Amino acid sequence: MSVRTTTVLSEKGRKLQSRRRMKQNIPLLLMLLPVLVFYIVFKYAPMGGLVIAFKDYNFADGIFGSPWVGWKNFELLFSGANTLNIIRNTFVLSVLRLICGFPAPIILAILLNEVQRNWYRRSLQTIMYMPHFFSWVIMGGIISTIFAQDGVINQLIMMLGGESVAFMYNPSTWIGVFLGSDIWKGMGYGSIIYLAALTSVDPTLYESAVLDGANKWKQIWHITLPSIRSTILTMFILATGNIMDVGFDQIYVLQNAAVNEVADVISTYVYRIGLQGAQYSLATAMGLFESLVGLVLVVFTNRVAKFFGENLW
Amino acid sequence: MKSTRGEKIFYIVNNIVLALVALTCLLPLIYIISVSLSSSSAVMSGKVFLWPVEFSLESYDLIFRGTPILRGLLNSVIITVVGVVLSMVFTILAAYPLSKSYLYARKAFTMLMIFTMLFGGGLIPSYLVVKSLGLIDSYWSLWLPGLVSTYNMIVMRTFFTNIPSELEDAARMDGCGELRLVAQIFLPLSLPCVATLSLFYAVSYWNMFRNVLIYINSTAQHNLAVMVNNMIQNQTLLDPNFMQAEDISQATPQGVQTAGVMVMVVPIILVYPFLQKYFVKGVMIGSVKG
Repeated sequence: MSVRTTTVLSEKGRKLQSRRRMKQNIPLLLMLLPVLVFYIVFKYAPMGGLVIAFKDYNFADGIFGSPWVGWKNFELLFSGANTLNIIRNTFVLSVLRLICGFPAPIILAILLNEVQRNWYRRSLQTIMYMPHFFSWVIMGGIISTIFAQDGVINQLIMMLGGESVAFMYNPSTWIGVFLGSDIWKGMGYGSIIYLAALTSVDPTLYESAVLDGANKWKQIWHITLPSIRSTILTMFILATGNIMDVGFDQIYVLQNAAVNEVADVISTYVYRIGLQGAQYSLATAMGLFESLVGLVLVVFTNRVAKFFGENLW
Repeated sequence: MKSTRGEKIFYIVNNIVLALVALTCLLPLIYIISVSLSSSSAVMSGKVFLWPVEFSLESYDLIFRGTPILRGLLNSVIITVVGVVLSMVFTILAAYPLSKSYLYARKAFTMLMIFTMLFGGGLIPSYLVVKSLGLIDSYWSLWLPGLVSTYNMIVMRTFFTNIPSELEDAARMDGCGELRLVAQIFLPLSLPCVATLSLFYAVSYWNMFRNVLIYINSTAQHNLAVMVNNMIQNQTLLDPNFMQAEDISQATPQGVQTAGVMVMVVPIILVYPFLQKYFVKGVMIGSVKG
């Protein structure tokens, strides 16, 4: 492009060029304008709206007119047994989800990468990617049908002489269903990115490893895993950023009164207290806490990753 | 290379393990299909497993006649089609200028957008914004707050950046304006990327749940996700206004639920084979650091 060729220019030439750059910029800025308005109205205005976490918001006075209350909403959140329990649930469920769910696509990708026949691998992938495209509503329908008291799983258990289990109404089995459904839905699709990283591994590495007498496990441990290390780290940083964000849809469709003590999380609390209970300020305070923890975690893990020579930005 | 005995065992075990994983992805779906296609008496007596027993379409007949699910299907289609078009237009409108090195404050604009991926106002402040704009109960409340996904925009921008500038220069010589440049040079060259991002947007609009729950109060405007979820939560959504009392008593909750789920699943399965090559590509484009 002509603008890029900034060789030695006279004063007049430079002026001409900056005028030219301005002329080129006008249509670009006009194109960008609507999207900037979108970001300001729907992304940054809500950030400004976070001030109601420190206010006692009511519709009549609006965001600006409502009285300030300082840290009162946060004090309420961090002193109530119920809200503390919700924060704990959010942590526990997301940490469990990270521990169980994060390695699953990596393992799957490594196993898929070892499949010798192309058609077999491709059909496996086609089947395994599909659940990603199902919404949690579909998942909820499938799960509640299969794990129902008279559902197919309980029929199998009883056929084998066992007692039927109330999977959805028992806190420990509920957590199992929660984690299992999460892995089931995301594992296949999550493996795509690792499979892509695996295609760039130099095959001669394996050949020389075989000559040195390394078996499959040693090859995977010493060649495959190290070569996708940076992808794993990047994905891990992104995953920690979402640690406080136990998806609303998933909990909402799986939740029931019997398991509330373990299943009620921040996102469902904010929906219930804020939108159904109209306690806007309290719910916003909880939401702000959630976003801040997420932000701190991303920045922190990125620091740690930088220490190991990888980082996002 | 000849594989050793140990390797042979490894491959066999590996293939079996993966086949089992794939089966767990497939079996629940087959079970749901079987239940939805079985007679209510067969479902009640627990005879249905992986094949429809006493094949019948009564569940489908019930939900199509007894619930406004067709309306929901239509609503979902409207939300998805209009949403994808709007989102793509504005994603491209943002990605194109940001791909130009001579754009003023390019870095600042990019950071402004990327920051929203790390931190946001959250549910309540966003709700208050949508409410104050008077968008409640209008589909604009579904389209506008998520108009541009920053992630998708960055992917598009990266793609544009990699298009060689010679073509552009030549078109400019011929007096081609920016909008025509985008429409006639850049878009045709980035069709795979456009297809992928359209797919990502389409999936999120089709599956949209929370925002419909929050912003759309009138049940006639609900999409499939919310309607089907109501069916599942309330066991049944059969509307007495739509049908005879004896029809309702015949219905089994499982039959109606599974049929509802199938109405949501079938469109996805129908388009899935055509889209597979695109989303794999899309994830790979996205994995390149922006």
